[in-house]
Amino acid sequence: MEVLREKVEEEEEAEREEAAEWAEWARMEKMMRPVEVRKEEITLKQETLRDLEKKLSEIQITVSAELPAFTKDTIDISKLPISYKTNTPKEEHLLQVADNFSRQYSHLCPDRVPLFLHPLNECEVPKFVSTTLRPTLMPYPELYNWDSCAQFVSDFLTMVPLPDPLKPTIKKEEKVLPKKYTIKPPRDLCSRFEQEQEVKKQQEIRAQEKKRLREEEERLMEAEKAKPDALHGLRVHSWVLVLSGKREVPENFFIDPFTGHSYSTQDEHFLGIESLWNHKNYWINMQDCWNCCKDLIFDLGDPVRWEYMLLGTDKSQLSLTEEDDSGINDEDDVENLGKEDEDKSFDMPHSWVEQIEISPEAFETRCPNGKKVIQYKRAKLEKWAPYLNSNGLVSRLTTYEDLQCTNILEIKEWYQNREDMLELKHINKTTDLKTDYFKPGHPQALRVHSYKSMQPEMDRVIEFYETARVDGLMKREETPRTMTEYYQGRPDFLSYRHASFGPRVKKLTLSSAESNPRPIVKITERFFRNPAKPAEEDVAERVFLVAEERIQLRYHCREDHITASKREFLRRTEVDSKGNKIIMTPDMCISFEVEPMEHTKKLLYQYEAMMHLKREEKLSRHQVWESELEVLEILKLREEEEAAHTLTISIYDTKRNEKSKEYREAMERMMHEEHLRQVETQLDYLAPFLAQLPPGEKLTCWQAVRLKDECLSDFKQRLINKANLIQARFEKETQELQKKQQWYQENQVTLTPEDEDLYLSYCSQAMFRIRILEQRLNRHKELAPLKYLALEEKLYKDPRLGELQKIFA
Amino acid sequence: MNQPCNSMEPRVMDDDMLKLAVGDQGPQEEAGQLAKQEGILFKDVLSLQLDFRNILRIDNLWQFENLRKLQLDNNIIEKIEGLENLAHLVWLDLSFNNIETIEGLDTLVNLEDLSLFNNRISKIDSLDALVKLQVLSLGNNRIDNMLNIIYLRRFKCLRTLSLSRNPISEAEDYKMFICAYLPDLMYLDYRRIDDHTKKLAEAKHQYSIDELKHQENLMQAQLEDEQAQREELEKHKTAFVEHLNGSFLFDSMYAEDSEGNNLSYLPGVGELLETYKDKFVIICVNIFEYGLKQQEKRKTELDTFSECVREAIQENQEQGKRKIAKFEEKHLSSLSAIREELELPNIEKMILECSADISELFDALMTLEMQLVEQLEETINMFERNIVDMVGLFIENVQSLMAQCRDLENHHHEKLLEISISTLEKIVEGDLDEDLPNDLRALFVDKDTIVNAVGASHDIHLLKIDNREDELVTRINSWCTRLIDRIHKDEIMRNRKRVKEINQYIDHMQSELDNLECGDILD
Repeated sequence: MEVLREKVEEEEEAEREEAAEWAEWARMEKMMRPVEVRKEEITLKQETLRDLEKKLSEIQITVSAELPAFTKDTIDISKLPISYKTNTPKEEHLLQVADNFSRQYSHLCPDRVPLFLHPLNECEVPKFVSTTLRPTLMPYPELYNWDSCAQFVSDFLTMVPLPDPLKPTIKKEEKVLPKKYTIKPPRDLCSRFEQEQEVKKQQEIRAQEKKRLREEEERLMEAEKAKPDALHGLRVHSWVLVLSGKREVPENFFIDPFTGHSYSTQDEHFLGIESLWNHKNYWINMQDCWNCCKDLIFDLGDPVRWEYMLLGTDKSQLSLTEEDDSGINDEDDVENLGKEDEDKSFDMPHSWVEQIEISPEAFETRCPNGKKVIQYKRAKLEKWAPYLNSNGLVSRLTTYEDLQCTNILEIKEWYQNREDMLELKHINKTTDLKTDYFKPGHPQALRVHSYKSMQPEMDRVIEFYETARVDGLMKREETPRTMTEYYQGRPDFLSYRHASFGPRVKKLTLSSAESNPRPIVKITERFFRNPAKPAEEDVAERVFLVAEERIQLRYHCREDHITASKREFLRRTEVDSKGNKIIMTPDMCISFEVEPMEHTKKLLYQYEAMMHLKREEKLSRHQVWESELEVLEILKLREEEEAAHTLTISIYDTKRNEKSKEYREAMERMMHEEHLRQVETQLDYLAPFLAQLPPGEKLTCWQAVRLKDECLSDFKQRLINKANLIQARFEKETQELQKKQQWYQENQVTLTPEDEDLYLSYCSQAMFRIRILEQRLNRHKELAPLKYLALEEKLYKDPRLGELQKIFA
Repeated sequence: MNQPCNSMEPRVMDDDMLKLAVGDQGPQEEAGQLAKQEGILFKDVLSLQLDFRNILRIDNLWQFENLRKLQLDNNIIEKIEGLENLAHLVWLDLSFNNIETIEGLDTLVNLEDLSLFNNRISKIDSLDALVKLQVLSLGNNRIDNMLNIIYLRRFKCLRTLSLSRNPISEAEDYKMFICAYLPDLMYLDYRRIDDHTKKLAEAKHQYSIDELKHQENLMQAQLEDEQAQREELEKHKTAFVEHLNGSFLFDSMYAEDSEGNNLSYLPGVGELLETYKDKFVIICVNIFEYGLKQQEKRKTELDTFSECVREAIQENQEQGKRKIAKFEEKHLSSLSAIREELELPNIEKMILECSADISELFDALMTLEMQLVEQLEETINMFERNIVDMVGLFIENVQSLMAQCRDLENHHHEKLLEISISTLEKIVEGDLDEDLPNDLRALFVDKDTIVNAVGASHDIHLLKIDNREDELVTRINSWCTRLIDRIHKDEIMRNRKRVKEINQYIDHMQSELDNLECGDILD
């Protein structure tokens, strides 16, 4: 309950920020309660409250806690602020007012349920319900509108059933006008009688079919129908009412906190309203709820319909109806109104709860522990926070065949942030068909992959993002014996390629599919119309019957024709009676031409066409073979991806992205070092010398000069020392090198190759060191005078040696 | 110049030479054997090479209709001729010849590459037809005037030019000048022009080029204006109301009417004429606007009609195609079944079935076509009725407007007559104040003369109006009949073509089946 309330605060705040409408807590109770229960009501009152409190504590959590917890034990009461543990005098006063109000109410309406006014909070302190609400603005734009906010709240809430549920708390079709010269439809020469008879027969069959279906459905429905709810009208629930008027809310509606769905106030599920509250006031419904909430009027300013607890804390919806004579006045002195009210009424004390804080992590996690399971009728929905599962799974919907949820029908799994761009995995358990859906960006441009097994040469359909592929492939369908590819947007206008395979020829050597491709029996290719060519030269379909050595061509149909040219080549190499090879004979090319042309009859033309086709056939076969290889590659890649299931992390996500985390840390380190260096450079070079002098006295001119000289000479000495040091190291290195060289000269003959290598590497390293030292020395020699001068300059300008300036000024 | 062959006799491009060349340059190996067997038709040749043959005169090339590439280099040709038929020519090489002027290239609109290297040309012109020209080689010629370059500006596709070893290439400004005046050129004398040179050249000749461009733009604008005017007039002509949107008709009435012009000097006639003209022009403009409106209406009518007809034909074709596709599917499977069947009686039965299928298809297609013919006929008749009505209405209305013109003319005539007679009376009485021109005064001799003069003027005017009306009516009527005739003829043509197509297809199918039969029986 606590959570519920606090979440709603955000919602309220979000809405209030733009002068929000009123979101009210409504408590519904059964309105059609049997009269007998009434007597026990008063005795039940204490019990009810206690039960309610118990229930509350069950689902209470502190928002400040790192992880949402469910049991009371895990709430550390000691850390909560004082307002949680005690009541201020004003709150005490309010509680008294509430008690008084409650007493009056139970006196006036003895047959109604006692009011839900001040349950105990997590520290066992009674708090008035309105003060548990604290409007807060959250930094997440998603929480700014009711629907996404309600979704967030519902994700966060988990329903725990009570041990005893009774003791709680379109489009219009455009008509095309017929054109003037539209030809009349051809005459209908069919017998109408026969048609009618046919239709009648069909109808009869259909009616029977329908009846049968309906009966079956009814039978099923019967089996499924839930038993009538014995507790109908007795259950109690809390939900949110959003009143119309502000922020473009056109009408009142309810939000159910567990689902986050909105319902019309006319909805039949809501049987009635007992009371309403927001952070300012508490109202009791005085209207009859015999017709659910359908007749309720949500004008909270109307004291006949809604009995308020605190007077005048807000005028709210008091509508300017004809009865409301003072309405005009109200508008005139709005400012005075507040002051007047202060005198008369008791103000709602400030909320005792802490401001809610939702960290970005918690916001992303949404559900407690980042996981949530919702059970539906014949379905189960599981949700996870992103990055919680290592494979990127964020939600899974399982649908079942039966009500007991044992036989799985299908599973849908949604993924996020996958590196292989997998978005949705759909597994149909009845057909065993798996379908993977991908977002754009897969290395193989996959869009959809549906398969039964990951073995090659089985039934599968792969769809691609064709614009991401060079060859414009859209879809590739495979069966054990065929492969069909669909293309789009190719420069050669190829649209379709179908290859059928024969049984694999068994070879003696053991070979995989890769090295022993199946023989191709037939390749069919279809082309789109190429507008640059005349239709009778533009091939629409060509069939390579590889086994029969036959090539069939079908050309595109000309615009004003209904038949298309065809050509068939039989490429058998034969030998004539004299033993000469026959190059081309007229019967090797059978053609049908819509408009016979002269040049195509020539053998030369036919020969050239055939040669061209032969080359094309080779190419096509190669293409098919490559496609097969590609399928293998894709399958391999998919398996690897499934095994690795790496997730992508945005570079802006500095918490998760290792690289950017490193980078950030490196930046921080660098900043730190930079800072240290700056501190270093600010070292006081005069300090050691000043320390020799008595402190607090002003330097005399003589002292200043001496100080300066000392400082400079010291610095000079340091520079010389440094130079000497480098010099010494340099000499030492050189000497060592010379010694080594000498030793090498002497022992050259007896050395093993390893020793020689060792010697050589030593030499090169030593040379490197010597060179570096030499460089350093030179650099030091160059820089030393400059440094000296710089120090001198600085000393002249030092304010502590002000005397110096006077001398040289 | 090309003198190694000078010692030899000039040769004639005769049939033998061409045949030899074609045979040599034709397909090789297996294809060559085939080609020899069949013979090559000149019109199938795409490329021909006739170099070093001492040809003096280009001749006998008219058969090479589809030639794309022709090489006639290193001959002694003196005149470009005989290339009129080679309209598809893309590549023409006439280098190393003795040509003096560029000519005879007016039909080669597809030419992209022209080489006239090493000739005796002194002036670049007569290349206007070569709009696709990309490469032009004119090196080693006698071109001596820079202004020839400006002629080349009209070739928008020209990218490569060679002009080296001409008198102009000696000029020191040669390269800059060409770069400046031909900014789209990429290669000059076999070298790429870099951007730097282009910029320099542009800067150098900016002033003169701007002037040139300005002139060209002006010319262009003028041409466009004329074009627009022509189009406007054409539009009016199709509405049959050209020159009616102003005083053209009125002016033409008075153009040949000397008496009328003379009479206009009479006192009071000036104003009369003015108002008459105004009224007349208003009616003319009415006719004009009405005509345009009617034209628009006729056009939409025609458009709807043709669209509907097209849709109907399309739909019909789709049906036909579907039928054929369905048939072919079945036919193919039954053919292969026949091929595999071994029992002779079964084969015969199946063949019979097949031919029954073919004739069924024939019937179906013909039924479709006959249906379409009937439907279209009805639609065409309806359209004919409507368009004839429309034209009739138009003529009627124009005639009534013209009648208004005539009324105006009559009215004017009466008024003029009145004034004339009163003037005559005044002259006779001698109290005419104003001076009249001598021509006019000569008319006022007696009553008959003046009445005759006024009458003659009136007759001329009426005649003009009648003529205009007649012209309009005859033209629109002939348009209407032509249109209807054309629609009918088109429909008949379409029908014949379709019937022929169906028959051809069915014949092919049947013969295929017959061939199969023969083959089987032989087997």
